[in-house]
Amino acid sequence: MVWAGIGAGLAIGFGVIGPGIGIGILTGLSSEAIGRNPDAGAAIRTNMILGAALAEGLGILSFVLGILLWTRIG
Amino acid sequence: MGFLFPNGFKYPPDFHIPTPTGEELFRIGPIGYTNAHLTMALVIILLGSIAIIATRGMRERPGALQNLAEMLVEGLANFVESIGGKKALRYLPLFGTLFLFIVTSNWLSVVPFIGQIKFLHSPTADYHTNFAMAVLAFVAYQTEGFRHLKLSYVKRWFNFSGFKDGPFIGVIFVMVGFIELFSEIFRMLTLTLRLWGNVFGGEIMLVVMSGLLFLPGLALPFVGLEVFIGLVQGLVFALLVLMYFILAIESHDEEHEEGSHADTDRVPSPEIHPETVAAH
Repeated sequence: MVWAGIGAGLAIGFGVIGPGIGIGILTGLSSEAIGRNPDAGAAIRTNMILGAALAEGLGILSFVLGILLWTRIG
Repeated sequence: MGFLFPNGFKYPPDFHIPTPTGEELFRIGPIGYTNAHLTMALVIILLGSIAIIATRGMRERPGALQNLAEMLVEGLANFVESIGGKKALRYLPLFGTLFLFIVTSNWLSVVPFIGQIKFLHSPTADYHTNFAMAVLAFVAYQTEGFRHLKLSYVKRWFNFSGFKDGPFIGVIFVMVGFIELFSEIFRMLTLTLRLWGNVFGGEIMLVVMSGLLFLPGLALPFVGLEVFIGLVQGLVFALLVLMYFILAIESHDEEHEEGSHADTDRVPSPEIHPETVAAH
């Protein structure tokens, strides 16, 4: 039971590493792109939000897994 | 767990964590009606009455509300057109409805008491609502795909044209088709979970933060974050559905011819290309 709680925490913690790195790279590169070409800012921003949502979806999957484990505990 | 101070103050306090689904209020026949249904009806009545009031007695010189509604619809139409061109404007009603409904529901989850008392529960914080919307979008875009491309629509999943270039290429094409077929089904799952995870996670975060920070008022920055996330998630859900529509109605054959010879002199266009989404 206690281990399930630790597992839930670990699932969220480890699962968020990848999306975190991904969104960081994405935001950094799109800031660079907007700085280089401010006229295309709107289109780049839309693309960035879309990509961030797709990357974040993976983190959300681990969050859902954590929630499932957590509801098992208690 | 936690500390219990001599004066009876407990840290961290007991949280009232919101439930992942709505609670059943009453039951008619085999169908149970939950508080998420009730809040959904409220959202629909709210949006519907705003739409009716704003468009009743439309005038050449619009009043404040009509002006706002026109700005909103025009902004959404321009956005859709910038992504999919003129042919995507056909999907503006679905896109706009999904966007407005989801954003309103997401913002409701930030409002105090909604999600805390028995009768109110934000519709998008219940994964049944999100799954229903995802299934609706799935059925709609598959139908659009079949309507536009007739039977050649299934060629993206069962593609045997590679066998004329040799068995190896043929097998690869068949495998890619299988992956595409499964990704169609996973699209529903990811659409559902992305929205639900964000809204429900936001609710939990607000509750936990206002418990941990001693004063609930200190959690206000997170309310701002949640409002922003609600807007972005509504946009993302509607935008992804729009992308799936655009991908469904474009023929795969033309694309291959285009990609094979024009790769080198292609100017990178700043607009979103549907392929970036297809990779997901």
